[in-house]
Amino acid sequence: MVLVLALTFAAFGLDVPASLAIMWKGAFSDKVAIARTLVRATPLCLAGLGIVVAWRAGMYNIGGEGQYVLGGIGGAFCAKFLSSFMPSVLSIFILISGIICGALFGALAGWLYVKRGVQVVISTILLNFLALLTLEWTLRGPLQESKKQTFVTDTLPNEVMLMRFDSGTDLHSGVFIALIATVLIWVFLRYTIPGFHLRVVGDSPDAARANKLPVGAIQIRAMAISGGLCGLAGSVDYVGLTGRLADGYSQNWGFIAIPVALLGGLTPIGTLGSATYFGALFAGSEVLKRSTPIGNSVVPAVQGFAVLAYIAILWALNRKTQRRFD
Amino acid sequence: MPPEPRTEALIQVRAVSKSYGAVRALDNVSVDFLSGEIHAVLGENGAGKSTLMGILSGFVSPDQGDILFDGSPLPTGRPIEIRQLGVKMVHQHFMLVPQFLVSENLALGEITGNLTPLSLAELSKLATGKGTELGWNVDLQKIVLELPVGAQQRIEILKALAGDSRVLILDEPTAVLSPDEIRDLFGVLRKLRHQGIAVILIAHKLSEIMAVADRVTVLRKGELIATSLIGDTNEVQLAEWMVGDVPEFAKDGERSFGEVLVKAEKLSVNDDRGVKVIDSVDFEILAGQIFGLGGVDGNGQIELAEALAGVRDYDGVLTLPDNVAYIPQDRQTDGLALGLSVAENLMLSGVPSECKWGLFIRPALVRDYAQRMIAEYEIKVGKETDTAKSLSGGNQQKIVVARNLAQNPDLIIAVNPTRGLDIRATDYVHRRLREAAERGAAVLLISTDLDELSALADETKYLQSGGINDQFLVANA
Repeated sequence: MVLVLALTFAAFGLDVPASLAIMWKGAFSDKVAIARTLVRATPLCLAGLGIVVAWRAGMYNIGGEGQYVLGGIGGAFCAKFLSSFMPSVLSIFILISGIICGALFGALAGWLYVKRGVQVVISTILLNFLALLTLEWTLRGPLQESKKQTFVTDTLPNEVMLMRFDSGTDLHSGVFIALIATVLIWVFLRYTIPGFHLRVVGDSPDAARANKLPVGAIQIRAMAISGGLCGLAGSVDYVGLTGRLADGYSQNWGFIAIPVALLGGLTPIGTLGSATYFGALFAGSEVLKRSTPIGNSVVPAVQGFAVLAYIAILWALNRKTQRRFD
Repeated sequence: MPPEPRTEALIQVRAVSKSYGAVRALDNVSVDFLSGEIHAVLGENGAGKSTLMGILSGFVSPDQGDILFDGSPLPTGRPIEIRQLGVKMVHQHFMLVPQFLVSENLALGEITGNLTPLSLAELSKLATGKGTELGWNVDLQKIVLELPVGAQQRIEILKALAGDSRVLILDEPTAVLSPDEIRDLFGVLRKLRHQGIAVILIAHKLSEIMAVADRVTVLRKGELIATSLIGDTNEVQLAEWMVGDVPEFAKDGERSFGEVLVKAEKLSVNDDRGVKVIDSVDFEILAGQIFGLGGVDGNGQIELAEALAGVRDYDGVLTLPDNVAYIPQDRQTDGLALGLSVAENLMLSGVPSECKWGLFIRPALVRDYAQRMIAEYEIKVGKETDTAKSLSGGNQQKIVVARNLAQNPDLIIAVNPTRGLDIRATDYVHRRLREAAERGAAVLLISTDLDELSALADETKYLQSGGINDQFLVANA
């Protein structure tokens, strides 16, 4: 991966060792840098897990972005209309509301596929636009801040926000939510019967049907879990990091979750690792962009190369195993 | 009656062989095809019909042997040259672009790769001319997918006949047609015969062959069994040629059967297209009995099995025991999740109670269970965590068998359970099914392999045209 990074820098005409050093410093050198990495890794990990669940069920969910945004909206509605609740309870309600909104949005795409034959790839891409437009509308309507001057929500009071570990960093307890979710999804896929059935449907819907599994219900359920995780990512960022929604609320976390999940080999533990890697890339490049004229454009380039490298490795492995059978 | 028979054959196939891996698809086959004659090539699935037609049309290259066309060697393996010689093929699955107009589809075969302006009327003229000649009205402005299947087939035939044609090969042309459409097609084939074209018809419905063919060639397991004028043979003889000697089914007097476990009354089942393929059948299977259902492929076997297995809707009354095991015909798609491990595939029809705790799976117990099953059912596999994909066909089938028999089912439905397996694996599957019956299970063995039925079944009946008969083939059913 460092090699891919070095080659990308070289392609951009940057000083490779110096750039690598800046990236490293920005991502890992001190507690501020590490916090930066982890804060960015958190939504990537949660949404990445969502992608893993859907794709393992054979549902190619591209709608992580929309489900993330819906999670944020759900959280903001909760904060607005339940604001009289105790702060600690309210934050939990915000998270749950984010999960439910994302899950319903994901399940909608699953339902459209099972009942109406609409391809998940198509419907989830289109639902992304729907979610972004919904965000714009709510910011101009029911969720607009009290003074009605700008298109943002009210900022959450500090007591409602997730616990911070150090006043000098953004690191919030959402990082533990991501860790717990990773373990839960790992157990779910590997050691539970519904998780097993989900993987059977993903590997062979025909075999699942011949063995009397309710294929459609399992596919919809997988999309609901997937959307719930992406929605959780959105509400964790809302109640942990930003404290408010604005037009640019999602910075493509839901999209980047797809390469994160792929690079993680569509496994929960791998996704945790690759989310950390991508989180470090973002953290490092944020520092790098201040010191070079190219800046942020390096990041998507590196992501692209990383995923292509992964696909190339898979392809090579596949060819090798196939040759064994010829 | 064919017009004055010619002595000189248009196509002479001489000692042609073709193997795929260890399977000999065609073994030293020689046959002549004459101009002005409808020549049916008959055989079961895997008999080598399609391979022979593939060779004649150039899509398959023979390993050995020669083919003469009009006295000179046929350029085997070169479909375009063969087509230019006038040897035309109508595939079973239409080679049409469904979203395109009829005229566009007809023009498709004539378009050459240059930049001249495209005139659909000009390019489809040859084909439409043929249509007029044959008495078919072809609406060029219709979109193909909106036409009924029979009309689509006409487009396919006209596309093939455009230009000079001397041989027309049709691969199972009646499989998708209604009786009226079949009659119409046969009328056209007779017209073509009168024009001196050699018509080669691949089929497996005997009544149709008797109705239209002048001459018939029967293949079985890659070998040429017989070639005969149609007047010199009959349906029963053709059936015997096709499947080999119908074995004597000795009634097994030693075993006694128990209660009635399966009872079907007026059972009807539709296929995926909604066509009724099982029409109001009645049968009973007793505990301990192996009930065989034979018959040529495509007579509703899979649909019947799926209805009994509870994965397809049916009409009528069906009494079944609670614990039903289903060994589907296609182990690669229906039987196994190939990307999952052997252990997981052993649990596909239900996680055994000993391996679960509520909704959780207990990995150590799964491993023990899988290892025990692997040993007991003699599955050759490195580790239980290997993927099912990495196993040979025989061992894959052993997983399906093991999984189904381990639950001690009261009814086992097996559809062609040994198709594609070698002798050892076949013996294995037979032994396991027999053991299950001796234990008291009812077994429904649906198989096109008569040897398998005679070896295993206590009672055998035959599926034909949606019904169940006592004989392999009932004429004009």
